[in-house]
Amino acid sequence: MTEEKKSKNSKGKKKAGKQAEEQSQLNFKEIEKAVTGVQDWDSGESGSSDFEPVVSDGYDSLTDTGSESVQLTESENEGDGVRDSAYDVSSETDSSEDEVAPQNTVGYDAPEESDSEDDDAPEESDSSEDEVPPRNTVGDIPFEWYREEEHAGYDPSGKKIKKKERENKLDKYLEMIDNAKNWRRIYNERDDEVVELTKEETKMIRKILKGMAPHPEFDPYQDSVDWVKVDKAEHPFPDAPEPKRRFIPSKWESKMVVRLVRGIRKGLIKVDDKPKEEDRVYLLWSDDPNSTDRHHIPAPKPKLPGHEESYNPSLEYIPTEEEIKSYDLMYEEDRPKFIPKRFTSIRSVPAYDKAVRETFDRCLDLYLCPRTHKKRINIDPESLKPKLPSRKDLKPYPSKCYLEYKGHKGPVVSISTDSTGQWIASGSKDGTVRIWEVDTGRCLRVWELGEAVQHVAWNPSPELSILAATVGQDVFLLKTGFGTEEEQKRVDDLLQFQSQTIPDASGGSENIVKWSQDDIHGGIRLNHFKTVSSVEWHRKGDYFSTLMPHDILFSILYWFLFWLLFSATKLVKKLETGLREVSSIAIHAGGDNVIVGSKDGKLCWFDMDLSSQPYKVLNCHKKDINKVAFHRSYPLFASCSDDCTAYIFHGMVYSDLNQNPLIVPLEILRGHASLNGRGGVLDCKFHPRQPWLFTAGDDSVIKLYCH
Amino acid sequence: MDIDGDTDEASRRVQVRFVTKLKPPYKAPPTSITIPSNLTRLGLSTIVNSLLKAGNDDWKTEAFDFLIDGELVRMSLEEFLIAKSISAEKILEIEYIKAVVPRKEEEPSLHDDWVSAVDGSSSKFILTGCYDGLGRIWKAAGLCTHILAGHTGAINSVCVVKHEAESRVDQVVATASKDMTLRLFKVDADESLNQPKRVQAFKSLHGHSASVQCIAAEPSGNQICSGSWDSRINLWQTNETSSEGDAIYVKKRKKEGQEELQKKEDAISTLVGHTQVVSAVVWPQRESIYSASWDHSIRRWDVETGKDSMNMFCGKAFNCLDVGGEGSCLLAAGGSDPILRIWDPRKPGTLAPTFQFSSHTSWISSCKWHDKSWYHLVSASYDGKVMLWDLRTAWPLAVIDSHKDDKVLCADWWRGDCVVSGGADSKLCISADIPII
Repeated sequence: MTEEKKSKNSKGKKKAGKQAEEQSQLNFKEIEKAVTGVQDWDSGESGSSDFEPVVSDGYDSLTDTGSESVQLTESENEGDGVRDSAYDVSSETDSSEDEVAPQNTVGYDAPEESDSEDDDAPEESDSSEDEVPPRNTVGDIPFEWYREEEHAGYDPSGKKIKKKERENKLDKYLEMIDNAKNWRRIYNERDDEVVELTKEETKMIRKILKGMAPHPEFDPYQDSVDWVKVDKAEHPFPDAPEPKRRFIPSKWESKMVVRLVRGIRKGLIKVDDKPKEEDRVYLLWSDDPNSTDRHHIPAPKPKLPGHEESYNPSLEYIPTEEEIKSYDLMYEEDRPKFIPKRFTSIRSVPAYDKAVRETFDRCLDLYLCPRTHKKRINIDPESLKPKLPSRKDLKPYPSKCYLEYKGHKGPVVSISTDSTGQWIASGSKDGTVRIWEVDTGRCLRVWELGEAVQHVAWNPSPELSILAATVGQDVFLLKTGFGTEEEQKRVDDLLQFQSQTIPDASGGSENIVKWSQDDIHGGIRLNHFKTVSSVEWHRKGDYFSTLMPHDILFSILYWFLFWLLFSATKLVKKLETGLREVSSIAIHAGGDNVIVGSKDGKLCWFDMDLSSQPYKVLNCHKKDINKVAFHRSYPLFASCSDDCTAYIFHGMVYSDLNQNPLIVPLEILRGHASLNGRGGVLDCKFHPRQPWLFTAGDDSVIKLYCH
Repeated sequence: MDIDGDTDEASRRVQVRFVTKLKPPYKAPPTSITIPSNLTRLGLSTIVNSLLKAGNDDWKTEAFDFLIDGELVRMSLEEFLIAKSISAEKILEIEYIKAVVPRKEEEPSLHDDWVSAVDGSSSKFILTGCYDGLGRIWKAAGLCTHILAGHTGAINSVCVVKHEAESRVDQVVATASKDMTLRLFKVDADESLNQPKRVQAFKSLHGHSASVQCIAAEPSGNQICSGSWDSRINLWQTNETSSEGDAIYVKKRKKEGQEELQKKEDAISTLVGHTQVVSAVVWPQRESIYSASWDHSIRRWDVETGKDSMNMFCGKAFNCLDVGGEGSCLLAAGGSDPILRIWDPRKPGTLAPTFQFSSHTSWISSCKWHDKSWYHLVSASYDGKVMLWDLRTAWPLAVIDSHKDDKVLCADWWRGDCVVSGGADSKLCISADIPII
C-alpha cells in the first residue's frame, strides 16, 4: 500500500481496486497473524516486535485503506458511509483492550488520490488478491535483515523500496493515545505499512477466537435438506441408542488375551515373527512371459525367400526335365514345395494355382482337427525290446556243423549219447541201430532190427553200457560192448539174468510184456502187445519205462506218463500249456524248469515254482517241433522242427529264486534237408559234456554242431 | 619312370636285389635290378629263374618263395610294400627260398580200414595205426613190412619209441587202442621181407578204463605216456628186462596157435587233472609232458611231481597238440573248430594265441611241427585237406588234397621232406620232396 501511495499510476489503481475487494474477506492466515500481532502487541511486549505501535507514516496507508474500505462498503450497500464510523467498533471491542484510543483523522493528505481511486474501484473489484504481484520482491525472509537498511526491499522493477521515515516515538505514542481506533491498526513490517482492520475482520477474528465459524454469514444451525428423497425407508436406520456393551471392553476377549499371553509365555503358542508370505499378486488375464505354456507352440519362422523364388531366377535354379520327372517319383511329402520357374516379366506371373486348394485344406484342417492336444509318443522302438545280453557273451554254444555221421539209409528218428560223450547211438527208419564215434564220425556197430526203429536210449549209467531201442512192438536191450572187461561181464550177466527173473517179478502183467532172450542181436527183447513208441531210462540206469501210444490220447498219456515218471508215484502238478498238441518235453537238470515243444511250432518254458502257466512262449518254428532238449551242464536248450531248423537258446536258471530264468535265442542251425516237407529235423540231443548239439534229420544224416 | 604314358601300374618300379642262403646252383648274381612293382610271387619266381638260367644253361625251372623282412610275399609286391609300409626308394633285398610244396605224390598205401594214426619220426619206416586194430610198418609207399597184431579194438594212436642205443636192431613201437590197452612191439626195421610179417606185442599195458586216445614216448625212450577217455594220463615203462621185477604178473597167452610171452603191466604213475578225454599228449623233454583235452585246456605236467605246472584254458575242445618251432617251445593245437592256433607259453599273462591259421573248414585232427624248421608245420583236417604252414605268412604254403573229401585223421612229417597222412579213405598218402631248408 505504501508504494501505491508513492506512485499513483493506473496499475497502482488497479491493484488498489483488487485490494479493496480483497480486504472485505481477508485471508485467514493474515487475520490470524494480525490477531496474534494484536495480542502480542496488546500484551505490550515490545516495540521491537513485528507489530509495533502504529507510527505516523502508517496514517497514509491507513487512510488509504480506509478510503478503499469505504468504497467497498458503499458497493455492498452497507450502511456505513463514513469511514470513521465504519471503523467504529469500539463498542464491540473487548473490554480488555483498554488502550483503545480515539482515531485521529489529522494528517490525512491525499484526498484527490482517493477520489481517483474511487473512480477505478468498481472495475477492479472482481480480481483476486492472488494475482497481485508482491510489491516487495525480497521473498519470505526474516525481516530483521532489513531492519538497519534504508530500504525495505525491492519492487518488481528492481528499485529499492524506501522505508518511510519513522515518526518520533513520542508522537507515535501520542497519536496512539489520541486515536481511538489505534488498536485496530497493525503495522506490516514487510510492506512497511500500517493495516487497519475493518469491523468485519475484527468480528471474524473474534469468532475464530471463540472457535466459531469465522464467516459472519455462516449459519451453523441451518435446516437439513434431504437431497435424496426416500419416500418409504424399508430398513430405517436404527434409531436405538448404542448399547453400553459397545463401549466397554469385552470380558471374554480379555480372558482370551490372558489365555493367549499365558500360552505364549509357556511356549505353547508359537508366535511367528516372520511376516506371512502373501500370495503373489498376479495379473489374471495377462500373458505371463515367464511361464512356459505347454499348449502354445510358436509358429516356425518362415524361410526368407531366396533367389529361386524370384519371378526370373537365374538358370541354375531351374530344375531340369529329369529332375522334374524324378519329383513325380517321390513321395508327396518329399517332393519340393516350390519349383522355380522363369517368367519374362512380373506381369506374366500367373495367380497362385494352389490358392483354392490350400484354402480348402486349411478350412478342412480347422474343421476336422481335434481340439485336444494330442500327445505324441516319441519312443525309439529299439528301446522297447527287452535288453538281452549279447550273443558273444553267452558263448560257447553250438553254431556250426563240422561233422556229419552218414550211413543210415532212412530218416534218423532218434539219437542218444552215452554218458561220456564218446559214442552216439542212432535209430533209423531203415531198421538199423548204429553206434558212432563222436570225434571221428565213424560208425562202429550196426544192428539190423528189421522194423523201423522208433526210439533209442542209452543207459545213463556209465557202468552199464546198454542201449535200449524200440522197434514196432518190441523193445530191445542191446549190449554195446563198451567198457572194461568187468563192466562188459556185468552187462552180460544182467541181460542173461533178467530174461529169467523179470517175467516172474512182473507177475500179472505177463500178457502185456513178454520177455525173451535175443541171441541174434545179443540182448533182451521185450514184446509188448501194442506198438511201443518210446523208452526212457531212470537216471541211475536201473529201471526203464516204455510208452505205448495207442489211441487218440497220445499226448495226454504222454503227459501223464512223464509226470508219473517225474513224480515217481502220483501226479503232482498239471501244467497248462495252452498248446494244441504237445510233442516233446525236456526237464532242466535242476528239475524246476521244463520246456515243452508243440506241434504248432511253439516252445513253452515252464517255471514250476512260478506258475502252472508258461513262463515264456517262444513262437519260433514255422512247423511242428519234434524235439526239445536241455543241456546237462551248459545253460543251453534246443528245439528242432519239421522246418529243417534247430534253434539254440540260452536258458540260464539262477539259483536265486527271485530271479527269473533268462532266455536268449542264440542261433538257428540249418543244414538238414527235408524230402517231402515233413520231418526236417527229427531229433536233437546235446553232447553230455561239450556245448555241442547232435541233430538227426529226415535226410538220414546226423549232424554235429560245435561251438 | 620314363614310360608313364601307357599304364600307371607298370610304370611303378622298384629296385631289388635277390639274395639267398641256398647253395651255389641256386645262387643268383647279387646285382640289383629294377622290376615292375606289380609282380606277384610267380613273376618274381620267373625273374629269379631267368637270372639263374643266364648263369647256367641247363637250368630247370624251380618254384621259389620270397621273403621280405622275414615275411613271405603273398600278394603283389606293390601291395606288400604298402601294407608293410616299406619304402620303395631304397634297394629292396628279397630273399628267395625254394617254395615249400610237395613235388611228388607217392602212390597211396592201402589199408583195410581207416588210418587213424601215423608216425614218421623214424627215418627208416612209417608206422601207421588202423581201425582194423592192426598197426603197420611201411618202408616206403605201398611196401608194408610188418603188421602189428593183438589189439581187439581200433588203434587210436601210435608212436615210435626211440632208444638211445642206435646200434640196437629192434625198434620198439607202441600202439594205443580203443580196447583200453597199449601194446609194445619190437620191430626189426632193417629186415627185408617179401611178405608182411605179423608181429605180436611183447608187452601189453593195462590200466586205462576207457579207450586210449593218444600216446607219446619220452625222448630217451624209456617211458611212454598215454591219454585216455577216462581223462587220465598214464606213464608206462617200455623196457623189456628191467621192468620184469616191477611187473605184477606175467601171463602166457595162446593166440592163433602162436605162443608168445606177453607181459601185462600196469602204469607206473598217473597224472590226474583233466576232466574230459585227454586227446593229445606230447613229451618233448624228459621232465615235462604237454597234454590237450576236450575239457578245453592245455596242461603241462611235471613228470617228477606229477602236478600240472601250466594250465591254459582256451575255450575249445582239442584234438591235437604239438610242441616245436622256435626253441621247441611253441604250442600248436587244433580242435573242434577249423582254426589252428599257436601259443607261445613263454609270453606271460596272455592266453591269446600268437598265430591263428584258419584256412581249414572243419575240425583239425592233427598238427605237427617240422622237427628241423622253426617255421613249418603240417595240419590235417576233417575237410580232407592237409596243409603246410609257415609262421611267416597267414596263408598255407601248400594244400595237399590227396585224400579228396574224406576225413584226414592223421598227418606227420617223414624224413624231413615228406608229409605222410592217413584218413578215412583207408589210404596212407606220402607227399614227398618238400624242400624245407
